[in-house]
Amino acid sequence: MNEVATPTQHAALAARVSEACAAAGLVGEPQAEALEALEALDYPTTRQERWKYTRAARLLKVTPTASAPLQAPPVVVESLDALRFTFVAGQHISGETLDEGAEGCFVGPVSVALERYPERLKAWSNSAFATQEWFAALQASAPQDGVCILVPAGHKLQRPVLAHHHMPDGAHVAQPRHLVHIGDHASAEAVLWSDNTSHAEGMMNAAITASVGNGASLSLEIIQDEPGTVHHMGHHHFTQGSNSNLTVRTATACAHWLRNDLHILQDGTHADSTFHGCYLPNGDQFVDHHTRIDHAHPDGQSNELYKGLAADKSTAVFNGKIMVHKDAQRIEAYQSNRNLLLGEQAAMYAKPELEIYADDVRCSHGCTTGQFDKEALFYLRSRGMTETAANNLLVQAFLAEVLDGFRPEIRDHVHSVFARRLGWI
Amino acid sequence: MLKIDNLHARIGDTEILKGLSLELGAGEVHAIMGPNGSGKSTLASILAGREDYEVTQGSISFDGVDLLELDATERAVAGIFLAFQYPVEIPGVSNINFLRTALNSIREQRAEEPLSGKDFLAKVKACAQLVELDGKLRDRSVNEGFSGGEKKRNEVFQMAMLEPKLAVLDETDSGLDIDALRIVAHGVNSMRGADRSFLVITHYQRLLDHIVPDFVHVLAGGRIVHSGGKELALELEEKGYDWIVDAEAAEQA
Ligand SMILES: Nc1ncnc2c1ncn2[C@@H]1O[C@H](COP(=O)(O)OP(=O)(O)OP(=O)(O)O)[C@@H](O)[C@H]1O
Ligand SMILES: [Mg+2]
Repeated sequence: MNEVATPTQHAALAARVSEACAAAGLVGEPQAEALEALEALDYPTTRQERWKYTRAARLLKVTPTASAPLQAPPVVVESLDALRFTFVAGQHISGETLDEGAEGCFVGPVSVALERYPERLKAWSNSAFATQEWFAALQASAPQDGVCILVPAGHKLQRPVLAHHHMPDGAHVAQPRHLVHIGDHASAEAVLWSDNTSHAEGMMNAAITASVGNGASLSLEIIQDEPGTVHHMGHHHFTQGSNSNLTVRTATACAHWLRNDLHILQDGTHADSTFHGCYLPNGDQFVDHHTRIDHAHPDGQSNELYKGLAADKSTAVFNGKIMVHKDAQRIEAYQSNRNLLLGEQAAMYAKPELEIYADDVRCSHGCTTGQFDKEALFYLRSRGMTETAANNLLVQAFLAEVLDGFRPEIRDHVHSVFARRLGWI
Repeated sequence: MLKIDNLHARIGDTEILKGLSLELGAGEVHAIMGPNGSGKSTLASILAGREDYEVTQGSISFDGVDLLELDATERAVAGIFLAFQYPVEIPGVSNINFLRTALNSIREQRAEEPLSGKDFLAKVKACAQLVELDGKLRDRSVNEGFSGGEKKRNEVFQMAMLEPKLAVLDETDSGLDIDALRIVAHGVNSMRGADRSFLVITHYQRLLDHIVPDFVHVLAGGRIVHSGGKELALELEEKGYDWIVDAEAAEQA
């Protein structure tokens, strides 16, 4: 059951990944703490509680072979008017940088931001996961290009940002880092889209580090639409100031093997966090969403909703940790995780973790895993719907609570990916 | 149009229908009455194609087609409609979206053009009027949070939308108040016609005052044990089922 990674194996993986990333081009200096952590941290195994159902051992085999041809991938959600940036295997290939000067907004590749505004990035660009998780340390020790969004205090970014990361055919590794900083009372909306070709292999090891200032707001939609056999690790870290508003919606439309770590720190009072997600593995796919919210100050709110279906022989994992710190009174934290199993061999491991050290707190959580509603299916079929149409309608209904929060064009895309993968359109 | 011959069906090890025979002509209305647990809903479910039941013997032919060869979807496409005794709640699917999908799915399978948005809405309006279905219920999730009576009305609304050849109404009258009963009966009556038959399952003669049947059957112990005209319903109301069941038992013995 448990796999043991010998130091040589994961050190070798780290060397292969660092070398491939360096050859393609790094962004900025490797984080010193990350390099140390990479030495010191254990490689994840199923003996560790956080990795109980997640077999990271399979990533030890990742071996990047080809250098990626830097060709523009097909455009995604064409109808969306946005500041668009495209990255291929960790390299920036297109997108027009928005640069309003040292006092204004900047939206562009991290590589450009580092050249023009190194001092603006300094204070907060380190990945908080980098000292805690081996793969995050790996990412931070050989970071590659991603999108950088800087919105100074009082500004509102007028158009949404769409950062599209693409993995082409072949065995590649990519370690993009995305940086988002929303100043006090500023606001922005962004879409982070990652996709692959169906012959892509290797590893996507991505980090998002975002901070949302006092009274600021950030809305982020993360779309993962990755056919092929890429292994995807995501380290997404958000820090919120007082009276700030954060919304993170994650749709794992398609993933061969994916683990998302999402961590939100409410670092001020009256912060509001909404984080929703949906996933639908089929075949022998694996999807793992680990979330954590830290209510470190009083009067904060959080609203978490993750919904998913596991079909065929796939496995889905959800772990949601809510941590209410000692003096964080009057917190309202809601968590809900609903799952449907669509195959007798599909598996779902769901676990809420509540740690509450304040006494005046309103917290609720619910985890359910059920079967597809056969009565509903029969009812729909008795009205003339084909099994396909009926299934499709039921899945659409089940996911609506989560998917309706996305932009309509994104929602429709994600739903059509689901329907197509399950043979329902 | 419908011919059920010596039907035996079971679920697990329990035999429920034990040699049921029944024939319905086009345009006829047949009522089925019978004690609780006698197999009425089982018959209705089997006609609609519920797969939990195993038919071990007998046959059902519908317009000359072997119904048992068709799945639930195909039966609906062939023109069978079941108004459920317990309509199912489907959170997240609006009544309107549900009907549009159903209607167009049927049309597609019949190789007909989908209904235009305008025609569909006109039809919804007409059918909702027929059973005086509250406009709000059209937009809500299918049956979710509907009262018992609203669910039954919604079933008849759907029947009107789908215009079946054979409508099986399983206790559509139960849970209806006096006015609703009249409205629903009116809806059904206005759909009666030369090529539409009804199988009306009920416990109460009351409904049959409004929907006057051509025949009344008593289902007991998994078989039709007695058949008669509309006056049989009155007699049953007065005397109960024992006299028939006893007579049947005596005959069998
Ligand atoms: N899924 C099932 N598993 C086991 N027994 C069942 C199942 N469905 C029905 N039965 C049994 O079959 C018999 C007939 O049930 P059915 O629902 O057809 O009766 P009914 O005539 O419609 O009764 P009512 O008048 O109460 O609606 C009952 O004894 C019932 O318990
Ligand atoms: Mg019944």
